[in-house]
Amino acid sequence: MSTVIDAHNISKIYNKENIPVYAINNVHLHINQGEFTALVGPSGSGKTTLLNLIGGLDKPDEGKIEINGIDITAMSPNKLIDFRLRNIGFVFQSFNLIPVLTARENVEFIMQLQGINKTEREARIQTLFRQIGLEDKMDSRPSQLSGGQQQRVAVARALASKPQFVLADEPTANLDTASASNLLDIMALLNKEENITFIFSTHDARVIERARRVITLVDGRITSDTAKVDTHVQH
Amino acid sequence: MIFRIAWRNIWRNKIRSLVILLSVAIGLFAGIAVLALYKGMMNSRVRTVIYSETGHIQLHHKTFKNDYEARFVISNPEKLLQELRKNESVKQVATRTITQGMLATTTGSAGVQINGIDPAMENKVSGLLQKIRVGSGFEPGKKNQVLIGKKLADKMKLKPSSKLVLTFTDADGNIISAAFRVAAIYQSENTPMDERNVYVQQTELNPILNLGNGIHEIALILKQDTATHTVAKQLQQKYPDLLVEPWQNLSPETELMIDTVDITSYIIIGIILFALAFGIVNTMLMAILERTQEIGVMMALGMNRIRLFLLVFLETIFLTLIGTPIGLGIAWIVTSYYHRNGLNLESMGKEMMSNFGFSTLVYPEFPTEKLLGIMGIVLFTALASCIYPALKALRLRPIEALRK
Repeated sequence: MSTVIDAHNISKIYNKENIPVYAINNVHLHINQGEFTALVGPSGSGKTTLLNLIGGLDKPDEGKIEINGIDITAMSPNKLIDFRLRNIGFVFQSFNLIPVLTARENVEFIMQLQGINKTEREARIQTLFRQIGLEDKMDSRPSQLSGGQQQRVAVARALASKPQFVLADEPTANLDTASASNLLDIMALLNKEENITFIFSTHDARVIERARRVITLVDGRITSDTAKVDTHVQH
Repeated sequence: MIFRIAWRNIWRNKIRSLVILLSVAIGLFAGIAVLALYKGMMNSRVRTVIYSETGHIQLHHKTFKNDYEARFVISNPEKLLQELRKNESVKQVATRTITQGMLATTTGSAGVQINGIDPAMENKVSGLLQKIRVGSGFEPGKKNQVLIGKKLADKMKLKPSSKLVLTFTDADGNIISAAFRVAAIYQSENTPMDERNVYVQQTELNPILNLGNGIHEIALILKQDTATHTVAKQLQQKYPDLLVEPWQNLSPETELMIDTVDITSYIIIGIILFALAFGIVNTMLMAILERTQEIGVMMALGMNRIRLFLLVFLETIFLTLIGTPIGLGIAWIVTSYYHRNGLNLESMGKEMMSNFGFSTLVYPEFPTEKLLGIMGIVLFTALASCIYPALKALRLRPIEALRK
C-alpha cells in the first residue's frame, strides 16, 4: 500500500499570554491508501487541529507534511488552495453545504472549479448520488434536506473531485443514530469498493467501532495507534 | 456556477437587497432627472439664442465688431442677400443696421444698441413681433417709432407713445440725436438683451446714419441646426472679406454654459453614486460578515482568490445593475411626460431665470447620448464598492473562517 499522508514530527504551537501551548506536539504519522482511520481523543486533544494541518488549512510550526510525496507545508496559500481542490475532500461537522445551491449543484460546484467538462460532471453526479442513495433529492436545497441527507451530500461533494483522501471532522456529531449509521455504511462501502482513504476525527463510538485504524490523541500527542487488521503501533 | 451563486446570494436577504436596489434606482433617477432638466434648459437656451437673438449665423464687415463704427457696412448687400436666399441650407434672412448710442428721457438715460430692422424680415428670423407685450408694433404711416424691451421700459418709466431721444454717431462721425416714440414694449426670455436692445425701422435709421442702403449685419436661420458650422465655413470661404460667425461664436457664454453643464451633470451623477457606494459597501460587508463560515468552506474546498473576488464583484454588480434599469425606466417615464407637457419653473424665480436668458417653461429631455457615460459611472461605482468587501473576504483564512 502506498503512503498518502506522511507527517514528520509536526507541532502546532499557540501562544497564550506568552506561554507556548502545544496543540499538536511532535506528531509523526503515516496514512496509507485505502485506510479507514479514526482520530479519537478528548475535547482539546488536537484532533481537529491535526485534521486541519493534514488538510492544508493550517500550517505546522514545526515539521513537515507530505501528501503523495509533495511537501504541502512549503506551498504558498494560492497553490495550497489548488492542491486542496484536486487532492483533498472535506466533510464538516455541520455539513456546510452552500445553502443557495441545490444538492446537485453543491456537488457539481467542486467539479466546475476543477474544470471538468459537463458530460463528465453529469456522469459523476449520477454515480455519486446513486452511491449516497439520494437520486431523488438532487434538486433539493440543503434547507429541504435532513441533517443525515445533508451530510451524505457533503460526502458526495468531498468525493466529487476524486481526492487522494477525505478528511471528516466529527461527521456524525450532528446526526441521529439511524442517519449516522447510514452515513457510515456509505463511507465504509466507498472505502471498500473504491479504496478511498477516510480519516475521521470523532468522539462517536459507532465511528470508532467501524474504523480499521484508531489513532488516539491526548494533549496534542499520539498516545496510541491501533490497526484492527494487521498493524498495531503503540507510542 | 459562481454567477448563479452570486445571483442567489443577493436574494438571501431580500429586504436588504431591495433597499439597495431602490437606492440605486432612486439615485439614478434623481441624477438623470437633473441631467434631463439641464439638457432641456440648455436646448431651450440654444433655441432662444438662435431663434430670438443671433440666428444660426451672422455676417458682418470684417472690422465692424471691433468698435461698432457705422461706416463699416457690408458692401453690395442686395447681391449678397440674393445669393444667400438662393443657398439651399438657408431658411430665413434678416438685415440689421446697428449703432451704439444713448437713450434719454425726462427721467434719465441709458446706453443701448439701436437696431435698424426690416420688421417683416426680422420677425421671420427672431420672432420680434411675437414678443410684443404692450402696444401694437410699427404702425404704417407713423414716423420715428421704436420698440423697447420691458426691462428698459420699466427702468426708464416708458409706455407706448412715450417720447424718447436716441443719440448716436453717424457714418461720418457726427453725433446725431433723434426723437422717437415708443410703438410697443417687447419681452423676450433674455432680460439683459431686452434692457440693451431697441429696434427702429431700418428705412428711418439708415438716412439718419447717412448709410444709404448699407447694412451692418445679416442674420441667417438655417434649415438644419446641425448644418451651422458647415454652412458658416462655406460662407466664410465664399466671402473672405466678411466676418462669418456661427451662433457659438456670437454667444460664447451659451457654448461655455453647455460645456460646463455637461461636466457638472457627470459630477452630479458621480456624487449621487458616490453616496450610494457607501450603502453598497455596507450591504456587501454585512453579507460577507454573515457568510464568513460559508466563504471559509468555499476556500477550504478549493475556491481560489480570483473566483472569490469575482463572486463578491458579481454580487455587487447585480445589486447595482438591477437598480439601474429601474432608475432609467422611471427617469425615462418622468422625463418623457415633462418633455411633452413642459415643466413650469416660474415658482423658482422667473426673473432670475430670464436674467440668465432661460425660459421658465422647460422641456426636460432624456439624456440618451449620456447613457454610455452614466453606465460607465455605475459600473465604476460597483467596482469601487466591491473592492473593500472583496478584500475583507480575501483576507479571511479558511481555518479562521470555518471557526466562526
